[in-house]
Amino acid sequence: MVVFGTTFFNFDSFIGKTDSIEIIGKSVFLCRYHNILPLLNDSGRYSLGDARRPLHETAVLVEDVVHTQLINLLQQAAEVSQLRGARVITPEDLLFLMRKDKKKLRRLLKYMFIRDYKSKIVKGIDEDDLLEDKLSGSNNTNKRQKIAQDFLNSIDQTGELLAMFEDDEVDEVKQERMERAERQTRIMDSAQYAEFCESRQLSFSKKASKFRDWLDCSSMEIKPNVVAMEILAYLAYETVAQLVDLALLVRQDMVTKAGDPFSHAISATFIQYHNSAESTAACGVEAHSDAIQPCHIREAIRRYSHKIGPLSPFTNAYRRNGMAFLAC
Amino acid sequence: MASAPRPERVPRLLAGCLPPPPPPPTVGLLSMEQEETYLELYLDQCAAQDDLAPPRSPLFNPVVPYGMYILNASNPDTAFNSNPEVKETSGDFSSVDLSFLPDEVTQENKDQPVISSRHETEENSESQSPQSRLPLPSEQDIGLGLNSSSLSNSHSQLHPGDTDSVQPSPEKPNSDSLSLASITPMTPMTPVSECCGIVPQLQNIVSTVNLACKLDLKKIALHAKNAEYNPKRFAAVIMRIREPRTTALIFSSGKMVCTGAKSEEQSRLAARKYARVVQKLGFPARFLDFKIQNMVGSCDVRFPIRLEGLVLTHQQFSSYEPELFPGLIYRMVKPRIVLLIFVSGKVVLTGAKERSEIYEAFENIYPILKGFKKA
Repeated sequence: MVVFGTTFFNFDSFIGKTDSIEIIGKSVFLCRYHNILPLLNDSGRYSLGDARRPLHETAVLVEDVVHTQLINLLQQAAEVSQLRGARVITPEDLLFLMRKDKKKLRRLLKYMFIRDYKSKIVKGIDEDDLLEDKLSGSNNTNKRQKIAQDFLNSIDQTGELLAMFEDDEVDEVKQERMERAERQTRIMDSAQYAEFCESRQLSFSKKASKFRDWLDCSSMEIKPNVVAMEILAYLAYETVAQLVDLALLVRQDMVTKAGDPFSHAISATFIQYHNSAESTAACGVEAHSDAIQPCHIREAIRRYSHKIGPLSPFTNAYRRNGMAFLAC
Repeated sequence: MASAPRPERVPRLLAGCLPPPPPPPTVGLLSMEQEETYLELYLDQCAAQDDLAPPRSPLFNPVVPYGMYILNASNPDTAFNSNPEVKETSGDFSSVDLSFLPDEVTQENKDQPVISSRHETEENSESQSPQSRLPLPSEQDIGLGLNSSSLSNSHSQLHPGDTDSVQPSPEKPNSDSLSLASITPMTPMTPVSECCGIVPQLQNIVSTVNLACKLDLKKIALHAKNAEYNPKRFAAVIMRIREPRTTALIFSSGKMVCTGAKSEEQSRLAARKYARVVQKLGFPARFLDFKIQNMVGSCDVRFPIRLEGLVLTHQQFSSYEPELFPGLIYRMVKPRIVLLIFVSGKVVLTGAKERSEIYEAFENIYPILKGFKKA
């Protein structure tokens, strides 16, 4: 369970110091990617230095959130696996957990197909890859697609899930991310752009063993298999992306616009967070920078949990432990 | 005049590796043995001269298979005249060891539809295979033979190199197309695009050929040099040769995959060498249905590219997941080529069955990339 506003999770004792820094670094970069790259402010100063501190804190918080959510997800997947009587956590288990949210499931499926497609192409280019593939048996093509299709076929009662395969409508969230990236990159110079591209290439799937250790897979009885790990890495990435998307929305909301009819009705809890001792230091000092603050992240999570509002008692059953998964 | 085709073929053979030599001093009859020795000579020279071959081939003929260019460059009239003779001479070569060289002659060759448009790429490969099945006893990397219909068909295939205005009817083996071919200068498909001097270089060619006989893989693995065979892992022999530097997968059904060559001619030559190795081991190997399955080219536009912009404006063609793969995957519809575009400006083109597709795809993408140049 994420604890807001209290001490940050101390991962240095958990994993080696260098690892934690690296993972933080990854989160930093991921946050940077999604937006926080401090752009030129009004005075034309490139405020990277200034934003370093909250950037770090935000990254730490984001990492905390992602970590907790993934561990929870893994636990639930393990339970599903156990129900089936399987010995490993397979991608089917993760797909099962995601069955409720069609949009996110579709995004995951698209990702899996792109992964298949990319390995097919890269195989055709490199001679050695071609041999490797032939040697390992030619049933590797579209492996993930087959897994997904077979599984959804088996659980689909109403035909909705299978309809997703043919569905070609635009993914708005992805569209928005692409547009945001395009806007950002348009004003960058080539050095900044190179750095930006590099940070975009970071992912949780690059250092698979570190990722596994970070999730503490070895202490689990049922472990995920290779494709399941790929999906988990993708879900971690998606969680960060969702957090940033939501935090940006929150930040946008915080700016009171002239003529906004609801500016007087900002929720009380939000103001409370905004004024709380913990976040004032961070927010107040860096109020002029464009970086995402930890307070934005916390507010985003709070809103996402649906614990407030008239319908909160009737929200989703699989959030029984109070954790609202951002990625699924 | 059974000799007429031969002097033409000989300079063509050697021209594959060397600069076009002057025509042989004696335009006379070449004996069978001389044919054979020329063949050996060719293969050896190719082995020695392989360094020369690759840089020359793009200059010579980027689009049309090499042999067709030479066919035109050399005496087209004689080539035409030799036309009726080939059918007579085909019978004469029955005693020569043809087993691994010539592809089968079939009467269906005449009926094969042949394309002239460079855009109809599937037909191109289709027409190349029947044309390769012609009774030419001499080694040639030319995809066509000198059969009557195929000759004119081949001439109509020469036309792809011409400007787009020339689109002769493919089916009619008439003298019109031939005279047209002899008159119109053979313009190779312009790899030098109007906007830039960048030519994609071929990096890898994957081709398949059918040796048309059952093979004993164990025997091949035992007797051949540079052969691997691990039946528990994979049901094929992996053989490698140094010149052209390629790898072949040879299956017990007689089918073979050849990868690693840097040009069409090299791929074909390498495939023939593998076939020869198999033949020397005692199998009645033939050389049927040689087909290029995939060609990979690469080049550098020399400016950084803003991929985020490209993926947004060409959404239906591109996918860019930088955390998965650093390049943007662009699926071009016409020609059907997949391009991998990187931030650095490097572009990899794959999925082509013909060289022209690669050039065309690059010409199509270059102005788009320029639009997303990162200053």
